[in-house]
Amino acid sequence: MKADKTTLDRRSFLKAALLAGGGLILRFNWPVGNAVAAEKDHTAPATLNSYIKIHPDGRVTLFNPNPEFGQNVKTSLPMILAEELDVSWDSVQVEQADFFPEHFERQFTGGSQSIRRAWPILRTAGATARQMLMLAAAQRWSVPLDEISTATGSLYHKQSNLKLSYGEVASAAAQIPVPKNVRLKTVADFKIIGSSKRNVEIDNIVTGKPLFTSDYKKEGMLIAMIVHPASFGREITSIDDRAVRQMPGIKDVFTIEPLLRDYKKNGFDVFSYGQIAVIVGNSTWEVMQAKKKLILQLSGPTGNAQNGKPDFLESTGRHYAAMEQASTQPAQVKRRDGDPESAFKTAARIIERTYTAPFLVHNTMEPVSCFADVRADHAELYAPIQAPEFITKTLSARLGLPKEKIKINLARMGGGFGLRAYGHHVVEAAVISQKIQAPVKLMYTREDETTYGIYRPSYSATYRAALDENNQLIGFHIKAGGIPESPLHENRFPAGAIENYLAETWSIPSAITVGAFRAPGSNFIACAEQSFLDELAYEMKKDPLDFRLELLKRAKERPVGQRNDYDADRYAGVIQLLKDKAANLARPARTGRGTAAYFCHNTYAAALVDIGVKNNEPYVTQALAVMDCGIVINKDAAINMAEGALIDGIGNALYGEQLFKDGVPLKSNFNTYRMIRMHEAPAKIEVHFVENQDNPTGMGEPLFPPTFGAVANALFDHTGKRYYRQPFVKQSGEKS
Amino acid sequence: MNSIRINKKEYTVDVDKEMPLLWFLRDYVGLTGAKYGCGVAQCGACVVHLDGEAVRACVTKMKRAIGKEVTTIEGLSENGDHPLQLAWKDVDVPQCGYCHAGQIMSAAVLLRERPTPTDQDIDDAMAGNICRCGTYSRIRKAIHQAAELQKQKG
Amino acid sequence: MKIDKEKKEITKFRLPVTLSVIGLFLIGIVSAFSDDAHYTENKEIAVLVKKDSARSVHAFKKVYAVLQSPRCMNCHPSGDIPLQGDDSRLHAMFPKRGADGKGILAMKCTNCHQAENSAGLKTPPGSPDWHLPPANMKMVFQGRSAPELAKQLVDLKQNGNKDLKALIAHADDGLVKWGWNPGEGRTLPPISHAEFKEAWITWLTNGAYAPAQ
Repeated sequence: MKADKTTLDRRSFLKAALLAGGGLILRFNWPVGNAVAAEKDHTAPATLNSYIKIHPDGRVTLFNPNPEFGQNVKTSLPMILAEELDVSWDSVQVEQADFFPEHFERQFTGGSQSIRRAWPILRTAGATARQMLMLAAAQRWSVPLDEISTATGSLYHKQSNLKLSYGEVASAAAQIPVPKNVRLKTVADFKIIGSSKRNVEIDNIVTGKPLFTSDYKKEGMLIAMIVHPASFGREITSIDDRAVRQMPGIKDVFTIEPLLRDYKKNGFDVFSYGQIAVIVGNSTWEVMQAKKKLILQLSGPTGNAQNGKPDFLESTGRHYAAMEQASTQPAQVKRRDGDPESAFKTAARIIERTYTAPFLVHNTMEPVSCFADVRADHAELYAPIQAPEFITKTLSARLGLPKEKIKINLARMGGGFGLRAYGHHVVEAAVISQKIQAPVKLMYTREDETTYGIYRPSYSATYRAALDENNQLIGFHIKAGGIPESPLHENRFPAGAIENYLAETWSIPSAITVGAFRAPGSNFIACAEQSFLDELAYEMKKDPLDFRLELLKRAKERPVGQRNDYDADRYAGVIQLLKDKAANLARPARTGRGTAAYFCHNTYAAALVDIGVKNNEPYVTQALAVMDCGIVINKDAAINMAEGALIDGIGNALYGEQLFKDGVPLKSNFNTYRMIRMHEAPAKIEVHFVENQDNPTGMGEPLFPPTFGAVANALFDHTGKRYYRQPFVKQSGEKS
Repeated sequence: MNSIRINKKEYTVDVDKEMPLLWFLRDYVGLTGAKYGCGVAQCGACVVHLDGEAVRACVTKMKRAIGKEVTTIEGLSENGDHPLQLAWKDVDVPQCGYCHAGQIMSAAVLLRERPTPTDQDIDDAMAGNICRCGTYSRIRKAIHQAAELQKQKG
Repeated sequence: MKIDKEKKEITKFRLPVTLSVIGLFLIGIVSAFSDDAHYTENKEIAVLVKKDSARSVHAFKKVYAVLQSPRCMNCHPSGDIPLQGDDSRLHAMFPKRGADGKGILAMKCTNCHQAENSAGLKTPPGSPDWHLPPANMKMVFQGRSAPELAKQLVDLKQNGNKDLKALIAHADDGLVKWGWNPGEGRTLPPISHAEFKEAWITWLTNGAYAPAQ
């Protein structure tokens, strides 16, 4: 197996103490941070933001500071710790980061980083606690340390038939200096890792216990809702609140500026409007009613040469025209291998295809909400947020309170998918509370959220392949861009596999706000690339999977270029396993089959779907996924995430779309924004993992992007027609 | 008449009768199991039983609910041991968990009326409940499993 | 299969009728009744009935346009799933008719559809007792030609056993009238309810003739 090297500074990393009432508490730093922020900060003293407690009665408590939005980190990460500690999972209780004000550093769930970053730390912490318990037992029994073994929460000295529970020596262990070198388990010895453990919150979920921010209630709390401009690129100039003020239960109506004008935003400070209107009242429904009566006066387009935003109101038709034009213009070259220009000049045949995709809405099932109680000298919030670290900075600046006086309790999130990395609602709630001097719960309606922005950008990618007279691939060109961001990853496959390669990027400015969305960028480019490779294979009369394997073989044996962001062996591994599993999965009659593979977020994923027709629409009858995410921690939870990624990918590929007219988002709720439903989801799903001993990597995102490609390719297999424009199902009643 | 029975307890309704049942439950009774997802009967996160039927509380006004019997996820079983709740746990269905109260309440009517549901029955009963996390295949499995449990309990 | 069978029936009954109204064959007219027994049973109404094929056909054209409008047709689908929207697409969650026309399982019509329209665009419309025709009496409008629909409307076996009086009264049925109060953003039928009612009664009381196609 590959040995784990942990380069942790143990002095700052681990600290033991006697637990009040007896037992051992081992505090440690769990850097659950976003990779960039954490790596930048590695010299700073680590915050001891997590702990293991071993109580005298044998109970074990683990503290998980990770925000939870459904990826099961609240269960899967403690499993790593429990493994090295060598306790039975049943004796473990997991506590969440509620009321843990002083340790916000690097709390971030996103980018499928949670498991990857936690892996060495949690193992070391667990193993250290175990070693301390063994040392305490060795002292108690006066035997050498290496004669002591552990199993499921007990210590043994086999030679003298002695046994102690962890609880019995926990207090003694607390007196022992934290050991510097501890031995980690070998993969073969894992008992908990690789098994399936149930979501630790499941009892509360199935009985409807309050877990989410929107469930939160505090005495004297008022309800606030916002009214934002209907159109991107316009701002509120005044409000007419005469009708609203007369309505029952309404306390106040005003406008706020969520950010101060000179505030320097960080990457997660995405605020769609400079000013929004706010209505405060006694109950949710009363405020909802009042929202309908508030009249906003809006400015004309606020875009201009200075701020780089368009000086007109944007519409979908114009977006596509602009993208089409951009894709024919020279763009910024990001990578050039060999002589692509000559390859295309001498080509016997050039295949060129353009792929497009619309803006997408996150559609978390829980619309955003936030509780805030801001006082003169401190603030307490209850928030669904993936990145509390970043929003604390923003709050501190806006409220004029020091960071340590701002306490954010992290609620369970009713879905994330990237949206909850952005905390505009958190700031808004705090500003409202500060203004009305009362505790307040800000609730967004579904319509508010669907039309507020922070969408997945709209994208376009043009691929060109140069074939020689023998139908061999001699050149490859990708030119990709988007509104307002490009999805291009120039160093990803098939870069490295083709002698003459050119990658260009472009972008078009927009007033429409965008943000991370489950596997950002990849969620489009994987579909475009995998569709193109499929079509290319078809034109070259090759099996589409064999064609990919051929390219990967080249990339491994004679890689082109300096930097290729993938491991060709592991990439080929998922494709090969997909091939093997597909051979055993009968394709139902009257269906077409499509496959795709992709690498992002450190994990290799391949997807297969079989598509038929039901009610005159394409319908995925069954799906299969293969993933290489290293060691799988919680098998069943990983399968659940994979199943979800497939279904989410199928749904978004077939139906997902936000449209605009004069800056106004046209879809505002599920009555117009189509979501995949039970009868449209595949009844049969198979998930397979490549078995290896590599360190675990992310699960939440990597399978989502190739699923789009598999859907496109299956549609071709079934209909004989290539699908270049998402969503693949035309929406009824709409022109596009 | 101004009373309503919720989870076998009587409540007096002293709010605007135009208020949807969902907001009465969440803001006034303090039962937050039924969730707000869309407000327009599209997603099913708010499903509760009104005289045994799986109504969408977000569009069901108090004037309709008064005098009737309401059951929410909190009152589906005494000890969280309805066959669906047990099956949901065993299959480990949820991801984010937000939609599942509504999913379970819809499934409860399905199981009552179709004790051994087919896949088609599940499609027919559950197509009104959206799950963005995509746990549909697990919901299907849990419903089949709950049907078995229900049979064993007799 | 089903459509073929219905076409055959129509061909069968059209022959004698066209012969009997031979003077009007140029515009092509059929009587919806295969015989006259249905509406002469009720003497009170029978005295009102005149045989005026020109008036009747003219009136039915208006009736037919209303019944084929989305507000009426969407709940008289050819399948067991209602339609929705001005484009009469299948209802998004695929609710099924059920034996009584009131939906099935967790998808009963009134789980979402209230006694009145919900506020806002594209929200559930409502009226007391919102339902589809029952399974044993589907009263399909979708895909029916004018003569097919005319025949079906007065056929006791296909119209819910409604005689002439009941048919006339049906013009004021709550769900029928909902068509003219369909909630925000929904297109109204092509004529007003008063005009529809007048055309409906004119059609019925003048022999229930319909254009041949």
